[in-house]
Amino acid sequence: MTFSDDRPTMIEFKDVHKYYGDYHALRGINGTIKAGEFFSLLGPSGCGKTTLLRTIAGFEDISSGVIMIDGKDMAGVAANVRPTNMVFQSYAIFPHMSVAENVGFGLRKDPRSKEEKAKAVAEALEMVGLKGYGNRAAHALSGGQRQRVALARALILKPKVLLLDEPLSALDKKMREHMQVELIKLQRQVGITFILVTHDQEEALVMSDRIAVMFEGEIAQLADPETLYRRPNSKKVADFIGTMNFIPTTVLSESNGSVEIEAKGLGRATLDASMAPPAKGESPVVGLRPETLTLLYDDQKATERETDGVIDEVIYFGDMTYYDVYLGGTDVEVRLSMRNVPGRPVLEVGDKVRVAWSPSALVLFR
Amino acid sequence: MKAPWLRGFTFLYLLFLYSPILLLPIFAFNASKVVSFPLSGFTTDWFVEMWNDQNLRIAAKNSLIIALSVATLSTILGIFAARASVRYRFPGKAPIMGLIMLPLVLPEMIVAMSLLVVLLSIGVNLSLLTVIMGQVLICTPFAVAILTSAFQSLDRSLEEAAMDLGETQWSTFRLIILPLVMPGILASFLICFTISFDEFIIANFLGSGQPILSVYIFGQFRFPAKVPSMLALGTVLVCFSIILLGFAEYMRRRGIAKAGGKDTGGFL
Repeated sequence: MTFSDDRPTMIEFKDVHKYYGDYHALRGINGTIKAGEFFSLLGPSGCGKTTLLRTIAGFEDISSGVIMIDGKDMAGVAANVRPTNMVFQSYAIFPHMSVAENVGFGLRKDPRSKEEKAKAVAEALEMVGLKGYGNRAAHALSGGQRQRVALARALILKPKVLLLDEPLSALDKKMREHMQVELIKLQRQVGITFILVTHDQEEALVMSDRIAVMFEGEIAQLADPETLYRRPNSKKVADFIGTMNFIPTTVLSESNGSVEIEAKGLGRATLDASMAPPAKGESPVVGLRPETLTLLYDDQKATERETDGVIDEVIYFGDMTYYDVYLGGTDVEVRLSMRNVPGRPVLEVGDKVRVAWSPSALVLFR
Repeated sequence: MKAPWLRGFTFLYLLFLYSPILLLPIFAFNASKVVSFPLSGFTTDWFVEMWNDQNLRIAAKNSLIIALSVATLSTILGIFAARASVRYRFPGKAPIMGLIMLPLVLPEMIVAMSLLVVLLSIGVNLSLLTVIMGQVLICTPFAVAILTSAFQSLDRSLEEAAMDLGETQWSTFRLIILPLVMPGILASFLICFTISFDEFIIANFLGSGQPILSVYIFGQFRFPAKVPSMLALGTVLVCFSIILLGFAEYMRRRGIAKAGGKDTGGFL
C-alpha cells in the first residue's frame, strides 16, 4: 500500500496514440495519475514524455485514445480552458512585463477587484519565496528567480494539475538540488497534482510519489520509486534507473512462487517469483545493485552467500569507493560500492577478495 | 600589422560617400543661382522660394500619402507573411516565400514596365493608388525580411504560456506577440517609408504625371534657376531623415532594454 493507492483519479489515459506524420510518438499510453500526487514522466530524450505532457496541457492533439482530467474527456478542449497550468522549460517569463504583471497575467479575466488581485499576486510571490519582488522587471531576474515566477504564475490560478517540463534542467547542480526540495515542499503545501517531465532518474526518484518510465512512446513501467529501483520489470528499466549489474544466468526450474537459477560466477540461488517479472524472450540475466554486494574483510563472514573475486578497477569517490570485481574466476564483472569508514583501507587492483551477496536482492530478467 | 593605406582608403570612401550630402546645405544657403565655389554670401531666400512653391507642396503631400500608405500596407502584409513563415508549415511554403521575396532582386524597371502594361490593358486609371500598389510590391520583401527576424527571436513557449494562462489566440497575439515584435514593426515601417519616399521608377511610370516628390525634383533640375531651391528642399529632407532614424534607433534601443535583450546592432 503506497501513498497513491487510496487517492481519487485525477488523470486517466486510455490507449493514447500520437502520430507526427509517419512518426509514432505515443504508442498506446494507458495509466492513471492520482489527485494530489507528485508524478514523474521519466525517460531518455525522444521517448515521448514531453509530448505526453503537452497532450495533457492541450498544446498537442492526440491521434486516438482518450485523456480524462478530473472525470472529463479533454477531446476538443483547448489549452486555455483546461484545468492545467504549465511551467515551461524556458520558463517563458514575459520579458516586457514586471514580475507582478507576469504572476497576475492569468487573472486578467478574473472578476475580482484590482486590490484583491494584487493581494493574490503578493501571496503567490510570497509562497515561492519572492516576497517584495513584484515591481522588478522580469528580465532582470536570475534563472532560479525566473523559475519561481513561472511557478507563482501557474499556481495563482489554482489549477487541478500543474505540469512541469524539465523545470530544473537549466539550473546549476546546487540550485537544482535546492529547488527539488522546495518543489516537494510546495507540492505538499498546495496539494495540487504535479506532473514532472525529466530525463534525470535521480531527480525523479527524489521527488516523485510515482514514476512512469517511458521508452520509445510507451510506458515501460509505472511504479513508486522504491519498486522501480528494487524491482524493475525489464532490463531496460533496470539499466536506466541507477546502476545495475547484469549476470548471465540459466533458469533451472520454476515452481509456484519461486524460480531456481544458476548465475555465472555466483552459483545457484532461489528467487521469489516477485523478483522475476514476466518473460520478454531475452536471454536470461540476473540484475543486482552495487550496494547489495559487500566486500568481506579478513575476519568477516557473509550472512547469506559469498563468492571469491579479483579487483579489476578501483574508483574512489571520497565517501564511497566503487570496485569492479571479477567473480569466482569467471569473466563476469560486477560493480560494487563500499562506504569508506575509518579503519577500512581502500583495496587495490589485483587484490583477491570475498564478495558477500544476498539471493533476495537478485532480479531475474529473461 | 597595421596597413596605413587601409585607414586612408576608409577615409576617402567616407569622404566620397558623405561630402556631396554636406554640400547640399552649403549651397542651399549660398546667395547665388549658380551652384559653384566660391560662395557669394548667406541667404535663406531659397528656403522661402521652396516654401512658396505650390506644386512642391502638392508633390510633398502626395509623397507623404504614398509613403505612409506603402509603409503601413507593406508592414501589415509583412507581419502576416513573416508570422506564417516562422510559425506554420504549409504546402508550397518555400516557393511562396521565395516569390514574395523575389522583387528584392528583380530589376525595378521590369516591375514598373510590366505593371504599367497590365494596368493599362485592363483599363485601370493611373493614380496615387497605382503607385502605392506598385511600391507595396517592392517594399513588402524588406518588411518580411525585417519582421521574420523579429518573429524568429520570439520564444514559442511565450505564446503557449499565454494560452495556458487562459488567453485566446487573438489576445495572445495582442498582449504578448505584438508588444515583443513592436521594435521590428517600427523598423519595418520606417524602412518602407524611406524606400517609398525616394522611389523614382514606379512613381514615374505609374504616377500618370501626378506630382510626386522624387519625380518633381528630377523635373525641376532641368531649370537651373530652380536648382538652389531644390538644394534647400534636399537639406530639409536630410534633417528630416536624421531625426527619423534617430527616433527609430531610440525606440529600438528602448525596446531592447525593456525586453532585457542583448543589443546586436541596428542601423546606426
